[in-house]
Amino acid sequence: MGFGIAFTPFNIMMAVAGVLVGILIGALPGVGPPSGVAMLLPLTFGMDPTSGIIMLAALYAGTMYGGTITAVLINTPGESASVVTCLDGYQMALQGRAGPALGIAAIGSFIAGTIGVVLLMLVSPLLARWSLSFGPPETFALMLLGLTTVTLLGGDDPLKGYISMLFGLMLAMVGYDIISGDARYGFGIVEMMDGIDFLPAAIGLFGLGEVLAGAEAKAAPLKTSLRLRDVLPSVADFARTKWSIVRGTTMGFLVGVLPGAGPTVAAFLAYTVEKKVSNEPEKFGKGEIKGVAAPEAANNAAATAAMVPMLTLGIPGSATTAIMLGGLMMWGLRPGPMLFEKNPQFVWGLIASQYIANILLLILSTLFIPLFVRAVRIPYSILMPLIVVFCVTGAYSLKNNLWDVGQMLVFGIIGYFMKKLGYSPAALVLALVLGPLAERALRQSLIISDAGIGILFMRPISGVLTVLALLAVLVPVFRAFLKK
Amino acid sequence: MRTADRVTAALLLAFAVAFSVGALKQYQWWGPGGPGPAFMPFWLGLAMALLAAMLLARSIRQQHPGESWLPRGEGLRDLLVVLAATIAFVALLNVTGMIIGTALYLLVLVRYLGRHAWWVTIAIALAAAGFNWLVFVHWLRVPMPEGKLWIF
Repeated sequence: MGFGIAFTPFNIMMAVAGVLVGILIGALPGVGPPSGVAMLLPLTFGMDPTSGIIMLAALYAGTMYGGTITAVLINTPGESASVVTCLDGYQMALQGRAGPALGIAAIGSFIAGTIGVVLLMLVSPLLARWSLSFGPPETFALMLLGLTTVTLLGGDDPLKGYISMLFGLMLAMVGYDIISGDARYGFGIVEMMDGIDFLPAAIGLFGLGEVLAGAEAKAAPLKTSLRLRDVLPSVADFARTKWSIVRGTTMGFLVGVLPGAGPTVAAFLAYTVEKKVSNEPEKFGKGEIKGVAAPEAANNAAATAAMVPMLTLGIPGSATTAIMLGGLMMWGLRPGPMLFEKNPQFVWGLIASQYIANILLLILSTLFIPLFVRAVRIPYSILMPLIVVFCVTGAYSLKNNLWDVGQMLVFGIIGYFMKKLGYSPAALVLALVLGPLAERALRQSLIISDAGIGILFMRPISGVLTVLALLAVLVPVFRAFLKK
Repeated sequence: MRTADRVTAALLLAFAVAFSVGALKQYQWWGPGGPGPAFMPFWLGLAMALLAAMLLARSIRQQHPGESWLPRGEGLRDLLVVLAATIAFVALLNVTGMIIGTALYLLVLVRYLGRHAWWVTIAIALAAAGFNWLVFVHWLRVPMPEGKLWIF
């Protein structure tokens, strides 16, 4: 049923566009998956929601591969999930094996993405059915766990991570209270009453903020060229890495399903495991092709798996899926267990399109490698102003007003300082999205509870989730505090 | 970095306290059958105050001033120019309109940052403004700010 929807010419065109733009965005340093999705979201408002999500999901898959190109060629990850790929990928490039490195990454991504979609198809309906029994306490505990893990895994200073998260939650309190209808922290400004919209915030933090942070440090230009036939890896390379790809895929999917642990964590974990199981661990870091294949498979599998909690529970596990979730809500869809019953054409269309996106990714990434390599060479002085223009038009076209543009600008400046001072914009955006939902779930829990806040611990599922979330907060914060 | 941490921690602490106090003063703590609108903001402010105090304490105990994080010289100048141009672009959107504003912004910044030849700069500005018009105005029918310069 899904393939019938995904195979319309327009939707295939959207998937192609998504993959191409995604690879480009992933390849360009300074624009990662969240800013890509945030900047392109306004473009999808004129479309049918299914076409819109097909484009965004294809884009997400594309960014995972695009980041690899710069990681291998200039040792600069285009986005954070490709950081580990630099270790062995760049070494391979220095040995003149950049082609096979990119080729095996493309094949690994394809296999991982395809297996990931099969698992997504099998797991999501089960999880959706199971989560139908969730009450407010379970929902709240799940959101709490998502927020704390994103924060914990997002940066190297947990204290600043949690400050970023709380700041996002506080900003989420602005505007009408969903239960009582009181306007909070509006200061009499009409636009503030509607609350702080997270889309202009995300465009500002990730788009403009990154541009400003890049304005002072000019990236080194790339001096490589690759031809198509250089990219095809040999049979020997593939035979050598097939189990690495399988291991990477498995781990990537498992990690990706967890709220909060996204592609970046998956890639790191896959690399570590690959080194552990290898007979020749000393080769890692010196151009070992397994060290490229496994993390690349893992980040693609994780990007697919991240759709599971977003679609079934309505709880995004990363900044990128949080922005997609915002898109779903703007299209009038309610992510969560009911989505599978109420909008089956949307869900299955999306899943079928993921198969197509993976095939497209494999074809386009090998065919157009020379083109992408050229695009990476666009000087920053041209790229940067263009990104700003796109941020401004994107923010404006969300609701056709200048207030959003101003908000984007303010968050851009906040984003600059956050990045410079070691705070986590991803935690802020996730908190801004989840804030109102978490508040409602918490207050509903307390309304039905006889034991106050104790209700979170008295129900088995929410009890386990809450304890995990509390551990994620308490352990690193106190360790960081005592250490310094 | 140490000074920056101290300043941000102090600001956040003040903000958090004001946030919590404001919640208690302005909004209801307990509504019918459950927590009211002041409940969540109050606890959030309290938690933020705690974390900000921890950051403050940590940065006061810190011995090393830490790495400097603000750019200097050319980097700082480039940053300020980009920031000023962007603020001007956004502030003047009502006057210039989106399409002309885009072209002007690109003209100024691309030329300033890259010292590209004029024909390259003009080509980029026109291409981007044209793309904007085609996608947003023509295709998506977004009512862009037209500005006061649009005399055609």
